[in-house]
Amino acid sequence: MEISRREFAERLALVAAAPWFLEDLKPAQQQQAQEPMALAKTLAEAIRLRYPDRFSADDLTAITRSIDGRLRAIERLYQTTLTNADEPDFVYSVYRGAD
Amino acid sequence: MDFAFLSVVELGRLLREKKTTAAELAVYFLDRLERIGPRYNAVVTVTRERALAEAAQADREIHQGIGRGPLHGVPYGVKDLIATKDYPTTWGAEPYRQQKLDTDATVVERLGAAGAVLVAKLAMVELAGGMGYNQPNASFTGPGKTPWNPGYWSGGSSSGPGAAVAAGLVPFAIGSETSGSILTPAAYCGVTGLRPTYGLVSRHGAMALAWTMDKLGPLGRSAEDCGIVLEVIAGPDSKDASSVARGFRPHPLTPSPFGRGGTRWKIGIPKGADKDIQPEVAANFRAALKVLGDRLDIVEDVELPDLPYGAVAGLIIAAEGASAFDDLLKDGRLSQLTAPEDRTGGYPALAVSAPDYLRALRVRRPMQRALDEFLKKFDALAAPTRNTVATPLDKSFRDGWPGVTGGANVIGPTNVVGVPGVSVPNGFGVQGLPTGLSFTARAFDEAKLVTLARLYQSRTDWHTRRPAID
Repeated sequence: MEISRREFAERLALVAAAPWFLEDLKPAQQQQAQEPMALAKTLAEAIRLRYPDRFSADDLTAITRSIDGRLRAIERLYQTTLTNADEPDFVYSVYRGAD
Repeated sequence: MDFAFLSVVELGRLLREKKTTAAELAVYFLDRLERIGPRYNAVVTVTRERALAEAAQADREIHQGIGRGPLHGVPYGVKDLIATKDYPTTWGAEPYRQQKLDTDATVVERLGAAGAVLVAKLAMVELAGGMGYNQPNASFTGPGKTPWNPGYWSGGSSSGPGAAVAAGLVPFAIGSETSGSILTPAAYCGVTGLRPTYGLVSRHGAMALAWTMDKLGPLGRSAEDCGIVLEVIAGPDSKDASSVARGFRPHPLTPSPFGRGGTRWKIGIPKGADKDIQPEVAANFRAALKVLGDRLDIVEDVELPDLPYGAVAGLIIAAEGASAFDDLLKDGRLSQLTAPEDRTGGYPALAVSAPDYLRALRVRRPMQRALDEFLKKFDALAAPTRNTVATPLDKSFRDGWPGVTGGANVIGPTNVVGVPGVSVPNGFGVQGLPTGLSFTARAFDEAKLVTLARLYQSRTDWHTRRPAID
């Protein structure tokens, strides 16, 4: 079954959330994954600077690709129309202890 | 007597009729856990002392005529992310291998109050898979193996609960699901798994991966058993702010109170649900629908609202998981995890911005409404639980079944919004491995799901099949 570029991005995002969804991806499509965005590379570099002694080159490549996949999926989040009144789906409750 | 594959209902009957005792059942299952559990990497800790004490108390009460309900004296196990006093709670992860939490989780308290007997802490994927594992070997207990063919995965992240129920090591178990972790092992192990609505079962005492998506629920031999367990563990809990003021009460199978137009159920089949998936999985799915054919009005090719479920799930799990385990990220103990990919898998979440995370939480509100409006049109959605049978142990998920690219993604979207689902065994595929049939419904429609699953199981015997073990 062919899937659209948008659905591919959607599935990539799910992979980040739950990697067993990866089995839904065609290997060919994975190979077609684009070069990571400059922003992804920069964000990965920021993580490397935070923990300078932790990562091998392969680690950083994996981190960069993961960030890149998420960044591409996030674009869809901003295509959903929200207004200023649309709040996050949690409610903060003020606390007052016993007198 | 061979108790291994009896249902909760059958074990309860034997106990009430005094044809066995809680102590006899406890010893029987403790021995199986110790003898057979290691074959499937299904067990972390056998709770022998606690089990024998709880069983002795159950026997005293039963002898005195005190009844605590259908689970009184029945053994069970919990996924090892659920806290229990006196035993380690390891979260499946090396950094927490010696962790002891001086509390019982609310689900354990409730099962204890119902007289159930805790016999084991069961294996799981490390940190419930939150660090991005991509192959089965992702726990310090080794890869979970399905009892149907130990060369294949038991599914995750509730790998121990799935394998232990399938192998007759426990009559039922409590697992958890953030995005697929009950339904997947249920399908891969040929057992029944019930994922409750978010908030129906208290998360107090359970490891957090994603606070706004984690759910606890039962895996068992049948939908009826899962309903019995859910009735005990559901309900509000002041220790979990997300718990809701609802309980669960199963409905009698006949006459069914559900089904539009009298006795028929309106079932939506998501577009592509059985297209380009493993042929045996597709065939079993259609055969299952045929079994229920006289009771179903099927609507083919329904399409979920087109919304960014994956982006929302990805951001929420990444951000909440990175925060829940920020100590591991900070001090570098992720490096102790078993799966190589888990050792770096948490770091990309550090690049998630707060506005993006909050955007995901804001988008989830209209997403919930849209999906509820969609689900309202049906009694349930039906789909193959997974598009393949279990993954080979020595393969990554990507390479396990190359060429299988189809199926409908139901597990992801329905977990994001927190609606319930059930998976029942519906046959076998390649390598003698089981396949699963899933039903999904609106929030708090568990009774509908359990009834539908029970109806299916009243007409089939897949849920009574046993793997060759002894």
